[in-house]
Amino acid sequence: MWRKFSYLFRRKRFNSDLDDEIRFHLEMAAQERGEAAARREFGPVVRMREDTRSAWQVRWLVDLGSDLRYALRALRRNPGFGAVAILSLALGIGANTTIFSLTMEFLFSQPSCRNPETLVEMQIGGNSDIDMAKYRFLRDAHVFNGLAGSNEEHKAEANWRFGNDTYRLQTMRVTENFFQVVGVPMAMGRAMEPRDGDVVVLSDRFWKARLAADPRVLGKTLIIDGRPFTVVGVLPHNHRTVLGFGFSPDLYIPASRESDIVALIARLPEGMSRQAAYARLVAACRQLDKVYPPDWGPNASWANGTEVVPVVGMERLRSLNILPFAAFFGMLMVVVGLILLIACANVSSLLLARASSRRQELAIRLAIGAGRGRIVRQLLAESLLLALVGTGAGLLLNVWLSGVMNRVQLPLPLPMQLLIQPDWRLLLYSMAVAVGSALVAGLMPALKATREDVSAALKLTERQVGQWTLRNSLVVGQLAVSVVLLTTGFLFVRNMTKSMNMNPGFDAEHAAWAYMRLVPEKYTTVEQKQSLVRNALGELGALPGVESASIACIVPLNDNWVTMTDVRTDVSEQPVRVRFHGNCAGPDYFRTMGIPILQGREFLPSDGKGGGDAVIINENMARELFGAKNPVGHTFRYTRPTLGAPLTVVGVAKNSKYFTLGEENPLALYNSFNPDPWMTNLHFLVRASRPRDVVKETAQTLGRLDTSASIEVKPMRDAMGFAFLPSRVGAALLGSMGMLGLALASIGLYGVLAYSVARRTREIGLRVALGADRAAVLRMVARESFGLLGTGLAIGLGISVFATKPLAMFLVPELSPSDPATFLTVVAVLGAVAFAATLGPALRALRVDPMTALRYE
Amino acid sequence: MLILRTLARGPLHGYAIAKRIKESSEAALEIEEGSLYPALNRMLVKGWLTAEWGVSDNNRKARFYSLTPAGKKQLEQETKDFDRLIEAIQLVMRTA
Repeated sequence: MWRKFSYLFRRKRFNSDLDDEIRFHLEMAAQERGEAAARREFGPVVRMREDTRSAWQVRWLVDLGSDLRYALRALRRNPGFGAVAILSLALGIGANTTIFSLTMEFLFSQPSCRNPETLVEMQIGGNSDIDMAKYRFLRDAHVFNGLAGSNEEHKAEANWRFGNDTYRLQTMRVTENFFQVVGVPMAMGRAMEPRDGDVVVLSDRFWKARLAADPRVLGKTLIIDGRPFTVVGVLPHNHRTVLGFGFSPDLYIPASRESDIVALIARLPEGMSRQAAYARLVAACRQLDKVYPPDWGPNASWANGTEVVPVVGMERLRSLNILPFAAFFGMLMVVVGLILLIACANVSSLLLARASSRRQELAIRLAIGAGRGRIVRQLLAESLLLALVGTGAGLLLNVWLSGVMNRVQLPLPLPMQLLIQPDWRLLLYSMAVAVGSALVAGLMPALKATREDVSAALKLTERQVGQWTLRNSLVVGQLAVSVVLLTTGFLFVRNMTKSMNMNPGFDAEHAAWAYMRLVPEKYTTVEQKQSLVRNALGELGALPGVESASIACIVPLNDNWVTMTDVRTDVSEQPVRVRFHGNCAGPDYFRTMGIPILQGREFLPSDGKGGGDAVIINENMARELFGAKNPVGHTFRYTRPTLGAPLTVVGVAKNSKYFTLGEENPLALYNSFNPDPWMTNLHFLVRASRPRDVVKETAQTLGRLDTSASIEVKPMRDAMGFAFLPSRVGAALLGSMGMLGLALASIGLYGVLAYSVARRTREIGLRVALGADRAAVLRMVARESFGLLGTGLAIGLGISVFATKPLAMFLVPELSPSDPATFLTVVAVLGAVAFAATLGPALRALRVDPMTALRYE
Repeated sequence: MLILRTLARGPLHGYAIAKRIKESSEAALEIEEGSLYPALNRMLVKGWLTAEWGVSDNNRKARFYSLTPAGKKQLEQETKDFDRLIEAIQLVMRTA
């Protein structure tokens, strides 16, 4: 085969060689037998030359080459057609490959590590994190070729003192062997090593944004949580954590505190399967039971619920329980698939239109003996060329859009950094897309064009029927698909406006949130924290403009603490299984947040000091536990894992939103605030008529109380970005997809209508010449296009009603997927587009001078 | 096979091959000399032959073809097959 390929590059040389050889042969023969005899015995030279050449050629490749060259010439002759087709494909393919890149980056990105396929994550006894003592036990059981741990939970935050300011940073606390086990590549310096002590590895982002990319950073110290840490290394800019999903911590520091908990990651020994490792891990867990007996029940064992999961691939997504999340990307892929389909339909109808104007050419070629297969192949080469150029332009769009997405900073509690880069997966995918769309767009027109009756085509008669149905069904299909796209897009846009205006059940307009992270080592007793909180609440409450101040463990719509347990009330012997959102709140919490107390009272300063047995529940919880009775004064106790002390309900709060805007009728329970020894993150809340005006004073007040603490203050409205994120992202992505779909379908609709009117120029001219009423002609044209529109809309709406049903899980409960306003808007928008697309060509047709129309052709 | 056989004795140029085949078969096999070259080229593609420019007996530039190891193997195989075919035919002719 390679000999044939080498021929491709030496064609000229080969031809002259062959000529030389023939000449030599003929001359030799002529010397012996005379020229005439020599020529006779040699046979026809031309045929011999062709035969020899074809021995060397890869037939289809050469044909493809000449087809592509021919297609290029044809395109250059008709640049308008080419531009519209390529633009359509570029938009479709650009959207498609970008979503593909995004999906790949989010769900299947490769972490920065050595041999990810032999790395595994694990759950021990159903826990994703275990404490350091248990970690050391399992590490020393030598099940794996290295067992490391990392903690990226919010406990892994740290305060960085820089100049006179303290910043809260996201760190990754890792066991000292983490870098060796995982094999993380470094950009500068070295990785963390065992017995390093207090060292820090910087992320590229932190190094560039906060340290101005200082080239002499190695060996310098950072003050983190009041202790000096020596910088030993900087990670490369394309570092991806094993956790993935774009999570990007600022620093890696050693997990040195005994209170640290870590998620485990391990390197499988050479040749050991995951199953074998699992069996050995379970054995090690049984040993662990003896040293650290599990405390959650009589038959509990660390071996139950133990899992060994790969760090990449589908199985990991399943074990992380984020399949709904993956489903969202699946839906996006379907949507961009539909957009590509519309784009293909555009190209397809353009090709059909062109084929009908090339009928003569094709008919002549068929008549002089070209095979139908050969002509189909040549027409397909044209659509392949379009698809290739379209894909090239689409990839440019992809690179640009990916760059935009990489720069987007989302309001998330953890720092995120997407690293979308073109890779071989994208390349393979876009090749497949290019070939696929060439076939989808080109096959039908090509087959259609070559099925013509040769003599009829040569006579240049315009047949009205055949071609119409195919082109019409293309337009109808396009319309139907774009109805589906638009409906989804509009649903998400409506979802966004609905959720932005939704009342979260608390007063977000008149509150501000101050997030204060304490350095854990600085507070050795609970009393120190209690006095800090007391002083802070006192000083904040006295600030001018502040109406009240309080504290809570969880700020609604920003964090979550869900408990599922059985409780027994004092009104019934039957335990009730409840799943509720927990929170703990200081005095005046409900006043500060503007959540009405419906029955009973709010927390008082005295509640925090006692045993903390006073609780406030929301309406839903009250109904669940006490039915219609007034729960105030009643008690209940947890029955799992052990029977707890009785809790007294002192108040019932109005229902509000706790973690997501989409949640429906959640239960909620508030304990009174009482700092525990591990609490390092304090969430102060202040109520003010103009929260923006008190931000600065609040920060300064808290900063004076503890200079080592990091403090961030923002109005509650700004803090709700995280809650709005799903609806905003959904609206931005699907809304723009819907618009793109509409744009493409409008181009297609306009093109087809304009073309069909142009083809009927003669007919219209004739009608006008014979005295037809202009309005009647206009009606005729309009009837046709609105017929198409009606059919497309009907089909599309029918599909949409079913297709949007599963979207309910992404929408706020107040919005039904079959929202009539959405459907009406879609119908109106498409109707307007169709009207504009018809009007232009129809008016042009009417202005046609009957004489010109009759002389047409 | 005839071409391979002819070349087994050493490299030759196209005209010489044609002449040799014609002479050795005593002109019983009349093939168009022109069809020799497509055949030669097909064998080049298959890798049975190699070609090199050289100088002919009468001091002219000519292309010399020679057998490759793969070509020799092919010749052996074809000879064997041919012999077997002839044997089979003879057997049938004798017994019939």
